[in-house]
Amino acid sequence: MQVSMKWLRDYIDLPEGLTAEELADKYTMAGIPVENVIRADEGLEKVLTAKIEKIVPHPDSDHLQVCTLNVGKAEPVQIVTGAQNVAEGQVVPAAMVGALLPTGQKIAKGKLRGVPSFGMMCSAGELKLDIEGLPEEQQNGIYILPPDTPVGVPVATVLGLDDVVLEFELTANRGDCFSVWGLVREAAVLTGTEPHFPAITVREDDEARAADMVKIGIEAHDLCNRFSARVIKNVKIGPSPAWMQSRLEGAGIRAINNVVDVTNFVMVELGQPMHAYDYDEVQGHSLTARRAIEGENLHTLDDSSRLAKGEELVIADAEHPAGLAGIMGGLESEVTDKTSTVIFEAASFNGPSIRRTARACGLHSEASGRFERGVDTTQTIRALDRACQLLQDMGACTVTQGVVDVYPQPKQVVTVDFTADSVNRRLGTKLPGAKMTEILTGLGFGVEDKGGESYKLTVPSWRNDVTLMEDISEEIARIIGFDNIEATLPRGNMLQGVQSRKQDFIDSIKHILASLGMTEELSFGFTSEDMLDKLCVPEDSELRRAIPIMNPLTDEYPLVRTTLLTSIMENAVRNFSRKNLDLRYFDVAPVFLPKALPLTELPQERMKLAGLISGRRHEAAWNQTADQVDFYDMKGIVEQLLEQLSISKYTVEAGEHFALHPGKTAVFKKGREIIAYVGELHPQAVENFGLRTLKQKIYLFEMDVETLMKYTAKSFKYEPLPKYPAISRDLAMLVDENVPAAQIESVIAKNGGKYFTEVTLFDVYTGKQVEKGKKSMAFNLNFQSRDKTLTDAEADEAFKNILQAVRKEFQAELRA
Amino acid sequence: MEEKIRALQAQAAAAIEKAANSLEELDGIRVKFLGKKGELTGILRGMGAVAAEERPKVGKIVNEARAQLEELIAQKNAELKTRALEQKLAHEKIDVTLPGRIQPVGHLHPLTLTLERIKKIFMNMGFSVEEGPEIEQDYYNFEALNLPKDHPARDMQDSFYITEDILMRSQTSPVQARTMERNAKAGMANKPIRMIAPGRVYRRDEYDASHSPMFTQVEGLVVDEGISLADLKGTLELFLREIFGEKVGVRFRPSFFPFTEPSAEVDISCVMCHGQGCSACKGTGWMEILGAGMVHPHVLEMSGYDPAKVSGYAFGLGVERITMLAYGVDDLRLFYDNDARFLKQF
Repeated sequence: MQVSMKWLRDYIDLPEGLTAEELADKYTMAGIPVENVIRADEGLEKVLTAKIEKIVPHPDSDHLQVCTLNVGKAEPVQIVTGAQNVAEGQVVPAAMVGALLPTGQKIAKGKLRGVPSFGMMCSAGELKLDIEGLPEEQQNGIYILPPDTPVGVPVATVLGLDDVVLEFELTANRGDCFSVWGLVREAAVLTGTEPHFPAITVREDDEARAADMVKIGIEAHDLCNRFSARVIKNVKIGPSPAWMQSRLEGAGIRAINNVVDVTNFVMVELGQPMHAYDYDEVQGHSLTARRAIEGENLHTLDDSSRLAKGEELVIADAEHPAGLAGIMGGLESEVTDKTSTVIFEAASFNGPSIRRTARACGLHSEASGRFERGVDTTQTIRALDRACQLLQDMGACTVTQGVVDVYPQPKQVVTVDFTADSVNRRLGTKLPGAKMTEILTGLGFGVEDKGGESYKLTVPSWRNDVTLMEDISEEIARIIGFDNIEATLPRGNMLQGVQSRKQDFIDSIKHILASLGMTEELSFGFTSEDMLDKLCVPEDSELRRAIPIMNPLTDEYPLVRTTLLTSIMENAVRNFSRKNLDLRYFDVAPVFLPKALPLTELPQERMKLAGLISGRRHEAAWNQTADQVDFYDMKGIVEQLLEQLSISKYTVEAGEHFALHPGKTAVFKKGREIIAYVGELHPQAVENFGLRTLKQKIYLFEMDVETLMKYTAKSFKYEPLPKYPAISRDLAMLVDENVPAAQIESVIAKNGGKYFTEVTLFDVYTGKQVEKGKKSMAFNLNFQSRDKTLTDAEADEAFKNILQAVRKEFQAELRA
Repeated sequence: MEEKIRALQAQAAAAIEKAANSLEELDGIRVKFLGKKGELTGILRGMGAVAAEERPKVGKIVNEARAQLEELIAQKNAELKTRALEQKLAHEKIDVTLPGRIQPVGHLHPLTLTLERIKKIFMNMGFSVEEGPEIEQDYYNFEALNLPKDHPARDMQDSFYITEDILMRSQTSPVQARTMERNAKAGMANKPIRMIAPGRVYRRDEYDASHSPMFTQVEGLVVDEGISLADLKGTLELFLREIFGEKVGVRFRPSFFPFTEPSAEVDISCVMCHGQGCSACKGTGWMEILGAGMVHPHVLEMSGYDPAKVSGYAFGLGVERITMLAYGVDDLRLFYDNDARFLKQF
């Protein structure tokens, strides 16, 4: 909705000196947001009309001319110009020194090739005028005004650019403000002035009776609760008067002809959409509001045809639809130059239905926008009368007798009971009831004082949004201004500010991983078949049963994700393409696993944790090696995370994961339950993601947050520091290269005796000096007693048992 | 005898003074004169040849000489040590302007950092943190919030639908309805609530500098006896000052949301120009920061609370928006782009 200040001022004398910006601010602060104040004359304040008195060639230039201009002052002004389309006696727009043109150009005193110049003659473009339709020399050269243009006045005035337009961004509840009438009503209350609306009167000066000429009917009572019509005759189609065209232009509506302009004018003025039919083109002279018949052709004013689905409300004549009700009229019955008799329609249609149809057809019109928000059903006849009055004033028609009005269930008056106390309690204010009733009366509410600051309100017909005391409280609050309500803090019961254990747990995961050098990413909850393919997700995996979105934004993201790995890979690929090669990322977010597809109940949301590392172990620097991260960096991160989360006594074994290298996948387990996967990205996936040329490996981990949470120790007690010294022994051996380190460590621990405390693998070696198929491993073993200083003999005894065990279990060959 | 001692003493003193250039040399001098077989020691050893009456005198002279020489040696020793240290230090100089060794540091996402600040502020005010599903029933996302199907305000939020009745939640507000309903079903209707619900929400918005199909919201809800619009103002003013600083201007503008009545848009003074008017605030001096209002009685009723007994306020804020303003980030897409060069700045 947009409207010019001139149109508002037609119906209200705004306070002296109130600028459009100030009024806009008052509207905005009262809940009627003004998005923009548009001034056509912006930057034209110092551009005056000037008459070229004399032109002489520039002494030092072929293409410059020196002009002397009369700008309505005692002294003429000298301006040097390069334009060639000027002549003595012409009136032109001239920007004076100090002007700041709409193009941003500043006009200053200057000299052109030695000749002083005190301004600039302007082209249409420099004034930001619409150059279309101007003669070509005027499009490129100086804008020449008509010869009778008064001299020395602001060019904005003579060009009619002095109007200011307010552009509203109205909320869905204030259908009444989709009209000049409604906006003026608000302005009156906000500025404390009285509106003076025009009296609406119509002279039925034609003897014909409308009811004899046209038949109006409603079949779809749920979609149309009132349909009113008038018939006018002897219509003289022509342009509407300049003042009306200028008002419509300010409202952003193009003038077409007097009949159409009048319907648009009344729509903007009163908020009641109207339609005009060429009477002679309406078959059977009958109009019925009915549901479209499926497959019926809907041929609208924009000359497009649609096949009806059967849900749309149409206005049909005896044969076919003559328009999409409330959205757009039909082409056949359009008012043309040949039209002589017109049916005016003013109706009230069901908002949700209009909204559905407008959306389905992609047709949003000024009319549909108003119906969607709800129009004032009581004023259809006023609108018809107003339209007839305006056309009559132009001498463009005669008006037949009577109105044809189908209004089976007149709207009931809405009343609301409230007390000043209830409103004050809701707002936290101490306003007297009298102040409230003053505001409400100004807004058109009927107030019945029931004593004791208790009232019965009659809601005006145009305020469909007010039905409760709470709505009244909003009216009071917005008019007194939210800024005039003093802020307080809520009192009452102390409540504990807590979050769930799961939230705490997730927060800790994030902080621990950050402390381990991992950076958090956030990714969209979407995925695609293509991403699942790339990740090598097997066809029969439950991760393939991703929930499809009915109306996805793009083909890229048609599904809701079932794994975080697609997201973390997507981010890694993007980073690689930007030469960000060193990545240490993690992502904590839910994935969505449906119980059945199509969805009949909400899916399971599993909180997952995924990580990815790739590239150099350290940041590039003069004192750091350029080593690449490997599997064990990733495994170390996971181990440290688990330790920090107080998850212990898990096992690690070689395992399988579709996205991971089959020989480089570790599975962390608590008993039989998997708590983490760690591994290198499967070479097939590397290929699929287009990373074949990437000269570095990618390592991933994946965990399930709820599973981790099950195994985190709820409490923890510290371990007392040992009082007696430990004894340490090194054990080096050769074993078959397929023996997992974890197995050896477990055998060591099992056979270490009561003083054994810890085993640390400190070297693994294959290569020269080691027999093929074998590996050399070195462990450091620790023995300690809580009660005494251990003797070497005791440690040796334990060590000997360990040696025997590893020899037996792994055919280990001991090394010196 | 005495002269011999004096001469030795002078000779030794000179040697210490001049000859000793290293600790080894000084030690040599010490041994030469004061060692077990040293010259001065030799005199003491030869005391037997000295007349008995002379002995105390000679002994005294020798001991004095010894003490003086020891003193000189100690002094010289200290001097040489200092010099040696100085020389050593002079050799050990490094270029301290070379960059330090970089330790691996991880970064939390800027939205997480903002969310943690927000949570802390509200938890300190006694708000609990509630959660709800991201794939939600239309009922909780819209209907329970006074937004029946075909309500024009549904156009404000174009949603991703999964079925007619299930969608990706377009706001965190459904957590309000779920929390109240949970209390009511547990027989604790009208139980006071002070909660926030942070979370991801999804809207069918084109991905551009200020829109994203997924973003982060924090919903707030307070329900108790006698909660008023003034309380809402107080809470949000306090919150916004915590986030944007004591001097930030806060203004409440009436607006419309179907789930609140009265409703307000809350603006803060422009963080770029501090209210003077600039391109970031379209010359108004204000920036929209969140939406809020008094909970609509229908919303309370539908979730089993009695609007005649309790009232409440609710608000919803965008974590991206606050983060953008707080750090001067000018393109929302940076948050979901996850460029390493961006994330490591936080």
